[in-house]
This record gives sequence, structure tokens and C-alpha cells, in this order.
Amino acid sequence: MAKLIAGIGTSHVPSIAAALDKGLRHTDEWAPFFNGYIPAQDWVAAQKPDIAVVIFNDHGNAFFLDRVPTLALGVADNYAPIDEGWGPRPVPDFLGAADFAWHLADTMVERHFDPLICRELEVDHGMQVPMELIFGRPQVWPVKVVPILVNTIQYPIPTPQRMWDLGRTLRAAIESYPTDEKVVVLGTGGLSHQLQGARAGYINPDEDRKWIADIGPNPQRYRDMTREDYIQVFGSEGAELIMWLVMRGCMDERVNTLSRHYFAPASMTGAGMVLLENA
Amino acid sequence: MATVLFIPGLVCDGLVWQAAQAAMGDVPNVVADISAHDSIPDMARDLLAKHDGRLILVGHSLGGRVAMEMARMAHGRVAGLALLNTGIHPVRAGEEGKRHAMITMGYARGMAEVAAAWLPGMMNADAPPNPALMKALTDMVIRMGPDVHARQLRALLTRPDAGAGLAYKGPMLLMTGRQDTWSPIAQHEDIRALCPQARLEIIESAGHFAPVEQPDAVARLLAEWALGVVRDDIALVRIPDTPLYDRPRGTLGYALNKMAMGLSTPQGRADFLSNEDAYLARFNLTPQQTAAVKARDWAEMVRLGGNLFYILKLSAVDPTPIRAIGAAQAGLSMDTFLDTRLGKVTNG
Repeated sequence: MAKLIAGIGTSHVPSIAAALDKGLRHTDEWAPFFNGYIPAQDWVAAQKPDIAVVIFNDHGNAFFLDRVPTLALGVADNYAPIDEGWGPRPVPDFLGAADFAWHLADTMVERHFDPLICRELEVDHGMQVPMELIFGRPQVWPVKVVPILVNTIQYPIPTPQRMWDLGRTLRAAIESYPTDEKVVVLGTGGLSHQLQGARAGYINPDEDRKWIADIGPNPQRYRDMTREDYIQVFGSEGAELIMWLVMRGCMDERVNTLSRHYFAPASMTGAGMVLLENA
Repeated sequence: MATVLFIPGLVCDGLVWQAAQAAMGDVPNVVADISAHDSIPDMARDLLAKHDGRLILVGHSLGGRVAMEMARMAHGRVAGLALLNTGIHPVRAGEEGKRHAMITMGYARGMAEVAAAWLPGMMNADAPPNPALMKALTDMVIRMGPDVHARQLRALLTRPDAGAGLAYKGPMLLMTGRQDTWSPIAQHEDIRALCPQARLEIIESAGHFAPVEQPDAVARLLAEWALGVVRDDIALVRIPDTPLYDRPRGTLGYALNKMAMGLSTPQGRADFLSNEDAYLARFNLTPQQTAAVKARDWAEMVRLGGNLFYILKLSAVDPTPIRAIGAAQAGLSMDTFLDTRLGKVTNG
């Protein structure tokens, strides 16, 4: 059976992509941010995972407001970077793990998660940036991907509790998949930020640091919080953090935090990462 | 949806709210019970515990003071505040003796005598006699009984400083009777001085019991106001200055976001850049939305239903740093925005 080897939580701030595209990786402003990912990159590279399941939200690129899937699942063989307004970024296409994705679709529906199933999908910075942060910018990505897209823009967005349960279902799909492939799960988004309204620019580094420290060993508080609590504590777009709960829910109750990193502000966002393995 | 909570005054019950309740239509509403406590803060705490969710408080007389105390304790739950025939002044000289005499009268001579002594002075003195209304009010006073009467008068005598606590910023409606000599217009002007957003309505040919002396006029004003509060409350966010993209905002901003989505393609961007007016004209924007786009007024675009993930695409045709968009919405200079919101870099 397939094996879950790690859960990774990471921000997917578009300014990270812009910094990479502009060659700012090693500048004084950005180097401390990117350097914090090196231990996790090295660990993942050594483990040689086969499949990355990436949970993210589309930011008004693949989906317009005419039809908004609460959950969408990619089952394609290929995912190209999408034009977000500046033309598609020079990032290699992502190869899809279509077999596992269909198995995941079956498992989800059997367990009463009913996603929009996408045979053709272009992906925005929500998926690109986490992949670049963990795998760098190779000619060919070293893993195949399965995108799971969660609506975090139009209300009602799904509840944190539902996201955790989705993680349990993802775990069941991994453990019932009859190959010996190694899977990493990336829960993405956050940390604290707010882009809209007079509260724009809100960040909460203290709560972000608690999140980074506690999401592995003590996730219960975050399972118990309401969507409103997430918006209050982490800002309106910081509510994206519910997508980390898919990753955490996928893991064992007891985990080791192998690497963690926090940096604020990245543009207008508290940015960070954790790398977890089952204890 | 927010619920209207009608809070009656001294020895009153749902009788005073009958007309207003009937006018509320689909707006959920309920009459509060403040008969069990002998202090205004206890009454307020009790109502906040018993009634869930967002509340539109409508308080008459003593009920108005309870409503103000609830707004002080839990302003985040109060979607709107309507205060009728009330005031914020502290206990006045001589008030204690008079009220104790009434408590004694209630027990010694009965509530019918209290009604006879108290009610006539509360009514519009210029109005022709209304025996049916006086009978209904007298029956209510008798129904409430001397214990409730005593508790509520004690609550009035120990009332908190309502003026000092009144910092409510949400929608407010003040109402009193032109002939209310007990809680005259000036007392409501004092409230409006503290809460300038409040609207003040004077009910003609009404005294302190305006909700029953002019039930139709009061009910109509309350129903219109409450419906507006409910609508705005759905559209507003529960968290201040945090517009969530929900149904009302989606309806308001759909065309604006669709216009922005059109900039996702090279053709859309070229069209915008070659003739912005013609491009915008395709999308049925309101004149205000068109003006906001042309002015690159980010706060206004968001106010008019724009969602940043969509309208951000304007910064692809007209480069604008995301932090400048943030500062503009916050109403701050870039330096102040960076200092006060985003703070210093923290790492590790």
C-alpha cells in the first residue's frame, strides 16, 4: 500500500513567486525567508516522495464566481500554470497522479465528500508557490501531483471541522491505494493576513508562531475554532489556514515536527512552514 | 438573521409591542422578560444569555436602559438599537423617596391604585380619553403585580450611568412622543449628542406610552428601520472592517468582479488598455463602480462588492503594489500602514 511519509504546511503568498521570478531569492529582504525552507527541502529530497497532494484555494483564476466548487479534485495528467493577469509564470507544468486521484475520488465519494472532478485544470500560485518552496525550480518536477481545491473566497466556506475530516478521508485513500508509492501532503495558505476592507494589512505574528508551534503537537484548539474565529485571529484571508487542517487531519494523532519556519511580513502576510512526520 | 428583541418598560409586557410585532413581517422578533431581576445589569446579562445570536434591541423606557446596558456589555452582538421614551440621566434628587412610596403603595393598596396614580401622567394630556387603552394598561399593571413593580423600581434606583457607558456605533433609532413630559425630546437629544449616527423621530399626539398611544405610527417606523438593519447586517461583516464575500456582496459586486476577470486574458488586457471606457461598458457596471474603477479607488471598489482576488487583476494593467492597495483601503499613508499594520520583520 502507498505510504504517507510527511505532512507539510506552508504559505502560498504570490509575492514569493514574484520574488523568485525577479531573481530576488538571495537578496537581504528575501534570503531569510527562503533559507528557512532549506532543511525541509533537503529532508523531502532525501525521502524521494512519488506523489504530492496539494490542498489550496484557487484565487479567482481557474474558477470565476459563476460556479464556485466548495471542493474540487484534479484528476488530470497535466496541470499548466494559469494566467493570473501577468501571463503564465515560467514554471514547468505539473504532471498529475491521475490513478491515485481517481482512487481518491472514489474514496471521497464513498465517505460522503463529493468534489467537483476536474479533467482539465490550470493552477495558480496557490499550488505553484508551495511546490517551488519544497521542490525548488527543477526542469521537471520530481513528484506527480494531486490538487485539491477548497473554496475560501465566497461564503459559506467549509468549516475547519470538515477540513479535518477530509484529511482523515485522504489518509484512508492513501492507505488503501495498492502501490508502494510515497505520498506527501501539502496543506497551504496563510498565515495571518487580510487583503480586504479597512482592516487590510492585519497580521498576527504571535498567533502565527503559536500555530507553527502547536499545529503538530496540539491541534485541538484549531479543530475547535469556528470560521469566524479564524477570521478574527488570522484575518479574512488568513482563514485559508483551515486547509492546513486537511494535512494535519491526515496525519497520526502523534507527530514529530521535523522543521518549522516563520517570517513576517512577506508582502502583507505572516509566512511560515512546518514539516511533520508521524511519530 | 438578527432577531428583534422587544424590551418593555416598568410593569409592562408584550401588550406595548403588539402593533410593532404585527408589523415586523418576516423579521424574527420576540418580547423580552425583565421581571425577574432587580438591577439593570442583571436584566441585561440575563437577556444576553437567553437570546442567541445577533440582536436588534428595541427598548421602551426602562427597557431602553436595559438595551443600552446590553449594548455596553456586548456591542458586537447588537445589530441595531432603538430607544423609545427613555433617557440616560442618573437618579435625580427626590426620585428615591417617590419611588419607594410607589413600592409601598403597590403592596399596601394594590396595583390597581398604582395604575390609577401612575398611568394618567404618562399619557398625552391633550388627547381625548381612551377608556379601552386605560383599561388594557391597568390590567397589565395588575397582571405584573407588586413584586415585579418593586424589583423594577429598585433597578431604576440603582441604575448605571447610561451616558458614560453609551459608546454604541451601530444603527440607532430614537423615538419619543411630542407630549412625553416624563421622557421629553431633550432627553433623546442628549443621547443623540453621544451617538451622532442616531436618527430621532418625534411621534405626534403621544406621551410616554407612544407605542400604544400611536401604535400604527410607532410600528411602521420600527418595522422599516428593523428591516433595513437586518438587510445591512447580513451584508455587513461580523468582524469590523472585514468584508466577507457572501451573498449580498456577491450580488452587489458580481459585474465588477466579472469585469476584472476579463483581464485574465491577453485580449482582455489589450482591450482595457486600448479603450478603457469601451471595455468597462461591456459589463453593466453601476456608474459608481465605473467611477471607482477609473479612479483606481480600491476602498470604493471593495465597498461596491469588488473582491480583491478579482479586482487585483487591474494591477496587472495598471501596476500597483499590493501594499499600496492595502494602505488605500486602510485609509493610511504607506509609511503609517507599514509601521502600524505590518510592523517590523520578524524571522525564524
